[in-house]
Amino acid sequence: MRKSTLIIVLISIGIAFFSCNKKDDKSDMFNFLTDNVWLSDSLLVNGEDAGGSGQLLEKFVGEAKFNKDGSGTFGLYSGSWYFTSKETVITITTDELPIPLTCNIIELTAASFKITTAIVDPLLGQLSIRITFKAK
Amino acid sequence: MCRRLFSFLLFFAILCSISNAQPVVMGRVFDADKGISLPGVHIKYASNRGVLSDNKGEFRFMPDKGSAKIVFTFVGYGTLVKELDVHDNDTVYLAIGLKEDVTNINEVVISAGRKKQNISDLSVSMEVLKPYQLARYHIINANELLHKTTGIEIMDGQISIRGGSGYSYGAGSRVMTLINGLPALSTDAGNVKWGTLPIENISRIEVIKGASSVLYGSSALNGVINFITRDASIEPLTKLSVSSGIYDSPSRKEWKWWDSPRMIHNISFSHSEVYGNTEIGVGLRAMSDNGYRKLNDDSNIRLSFNVKQKSKKKESLLFGMSVYASINAKNDFLLWDNADDGALIQSKSTAMEYRGLSLAVDPFISFRGSKKGEHEIKARMLSNLNRLPDNANNNSDSYSAYLEYQYSYNLSNKISLVSGLLEQYSIINSNFYGDHKGLNLAGYAQFDFAFSKKISAVSGFRIEEYILDGTAEDPVPIFRAGLNIKAGLKSFLRTSIGQGYRYPSIAEKHAYTTVGAIKIFPNENISPEEGWSAELGYKRSIKGAMVSGEFDIALFYSQNRNMIEYVFSNYIDPVSGEYDLGFKPENIQNSRVYGYETELSLYRNFRGLNTSLNIGYTYMYPVEYSYYTKKSTDNYLKYRRKHSANMSFNTIYRKLSAGFSCYYKSALLEIDDIFLSPDPVTGESILPGFIDYWNNNNKAYALIDLNAGYQIKTDFSLSFTIKNLTNTEYMGRPGDIQPPRYYSVLLSRIF
Repeated sequence: MRKSTLIIVLISIGIAFFSCNKKDDKSDMFNFLTDNVWLSDSLLVNGEDAGGSGQLLEKFVGEAKFNKDGSGTFGLYSGSWYFTSKETVITITTDELPIPLTCNIIELTAASFKITTAIVDPLLGQLSIRITFKAK
Repeated sequence: MCRRLFSFLLFFAILCSISNAQPVVMGRVFDADKGISLPGVHIKYASNRGVLSDNKGEFRFMPDKGSAKIVFTFVGYGTLVKELDVHDNDTVYLAIGLKEDVTNINEVVISAGRKKQNISDLSVSMEVLKPYQLARYHIINANELLHKTTGIEIMDGQISIRGGSGYSYGAGSRVMTLINGLPALSTDAGNVKWGTLPIENISRIEVIKGASSVLYGSSALNGVINFITRDASIEPLTKLSVSSGIYDSPSRKEWKWWDSPRMIHNISFSHSEVYGNTEIGVGLRAMSDNGYRKLNDDSNIRLSFNVKQKSKKKESLLFGMSVYASINAKNDFLLWDNADDGALIQSKSTAMEYRGLSLAVDPFISFRGSKKGEHEIKARMLSNLNRLPDNANNNSDSYSAYLEYQYSYNLSNKISLVSGLLEQYSIINSNFYGDHKGLNLAGYAQFDFAFSKKISAVSGFRIEEYILDGTAEDPVPIFRAGLNIKAGLKSFLRTSIGQGYRYPSIAEKHAYTTVGAIKIFPNENISPEEGWSAELGYKRSIKGAMVSGEFDIALFYSQNRNMIEYVFSNYIDPVSGEYDLGFKPENIQNSRVYGYETELSLYRNFRGLNTSLNIGYTYMYPVEYSYYTKKSTDNYLKYRRKHSANMSFNTIYRKLSAGFSCYYKSALLEIDDIFLSPDPVTGESILPGFIDYWNNNNKAYALIDLNAGYQIKTDFSLSFTIKNLTNTEYMGRPGDIQPPRYYSVLLSRIF
């Protein structure tokens, strides 16, 4: 009887431990990003506005929504997003861009979201990009 | 007179010696169905004494008088026990017919619980692969056999069990590989060095399907593959096998680039013997593969040495050491030159010579302190030296020292414990990875409960900490549990759940290099992968008048998060500080894989014609899921397939054997986007012509292998095999075209 009890206790502890070992990974950064609808505020390439018609960041103009399931819309683009590097980097993936866009997060609060990145153009060299969003 | 007197005395002495002689048991062991003699059968007649049958299957030994229990065991045959009552001067002749046993339901395995267990009593799925499966198709690299095993895929050397892994460019493994229970993954890249595994000297390969980190730690997230070497035999046993093979032209004639034959030669030798209380085994293998791809060849020499010593004073004390050394010279294949006429030509920009030296020294000591408890200390000192003559900057040296203490104890006849403490200290010196020092510390315990003769359970936990360059990761506590129910005389139900994790390899955290046009960036911020897997299985043995065998079905589910994948994107180059394009490992994937797997083995013996049939099928649904919503997305995991199947048919009649195997794999569901990018700066520049090739050729494929053999003498055989009979063109990872039709002949002899 004593042994049976020991067995049951051991298994119960194990299962309880297993089922309790779930962390809530919804961080502040995640909540800030997904709770808001964001509006593009400034779109700069090498320090100059690039959100105008025909310019590099034209399609990022407008609203951006980062959904909790990892999908999202970013101006005229739609695709997916994920944090990496312990939430210091965000990567945006869409079929319309040839590669995922990996951006450093400069600021992410309930009101403001700023990212920077750069791409290498074979003709123009490195293009430094800075995008600022404001919560709508 | 003197001569007569001497003869009389000699005769008298012989008579006296005979009249006081020990009993003698002699005889012959043979295949009960075919009648052929069986050399090398292990015949044990006392707790520490035994002999092997000789080349003619004959044996002779002298047991102590009284009752003797004689056990005849031979790989591939059922064990036979004969009980005798022998007295002084008795001479007993035995004719022992062993029956071939293709079923493994009574197979004894050790990996699942770190102790001897019957495979049908396990709560997890396990596959046991035997040396004859390697020999049948002249397999000289274990990854080929594993790739053709139900539920396993090897993609360019990386193992995936039931869809648990994709392809990560050779860095990190989610399957722990072991030699006799000791970790065999490289310290730097955390990958499997297939050329170092001593398959010429193994008794079996045990594969655990599912998370096994409780007993085997980091990297056992997706399962375990344990290579178990053959014990030294009591009578000297020497084996020699020589094989040569040649690649046929590829089905696409424009891809053929060679004028001289492309061949593989392999010679392997093993010898084992017992001297008193000392067991010794030696293995040697030399292999040369010209390669069917230009600038992609491989040569390897491997040596293994095992010694075990039983204490003369304390029978329960056993100690010994194994040494494994290998030298490797090769050109690895990375990217093709172009899809039109250069798919079998390595792009010169990525061709790189490699020279490797691996040395492992594994001492151990075990001691049974009482009838209930056993202590075991085992260690592994491993060094890997990697040299790239054309790019010395990528050289790396890694050293590790692994030490484990295991204590097994039977608390009662219903509860047993296996527990252990271990540490692994590693040093990496490299321009490629940088210089690093790592330390793993772990403790584990697993309880086995036998509730009754029909119900048993297992419950275990582990805690592990990893410290790299003085910075400690959070300790990882994990758990597993399982249940096995003997549902009937021949049927078993099993269910299990277990957690797993994997620390990023040094390569993933610190490798910074350029290969051709491709940059590889390090990521010091990546987190460990973690997850769990569960399964529900049913195993049944089949015993009929005409057919015997077994059936197994398993439903499986696994879920992992923070899976590390190499992502091609724009990153800051850590050296120049500028953004550049390249691959970088990221914790981006949360994976969910579920499905089922079924296997059927049948064996029939009809008028001396032995026939075996093995069929396996795996269905899986591999998909990404959102960790936050807990829901599956519509995105398939990369480098996975939904369906895979295999069938193997073999028959033996007298001295002839023949058979065939078929393998089927459905199309890859997803690959890295970069390879399909229409942007000429990215996709096409990496793999020229790949997009069109992928669109036209990412299809299911089926392969057929044939084998035929002839037993020239009892100790001498000849066999022939054709792999990829239909010369099917198929691909592993992007740009990795697999071998065309291949012919091979093998001669093997037992001395």
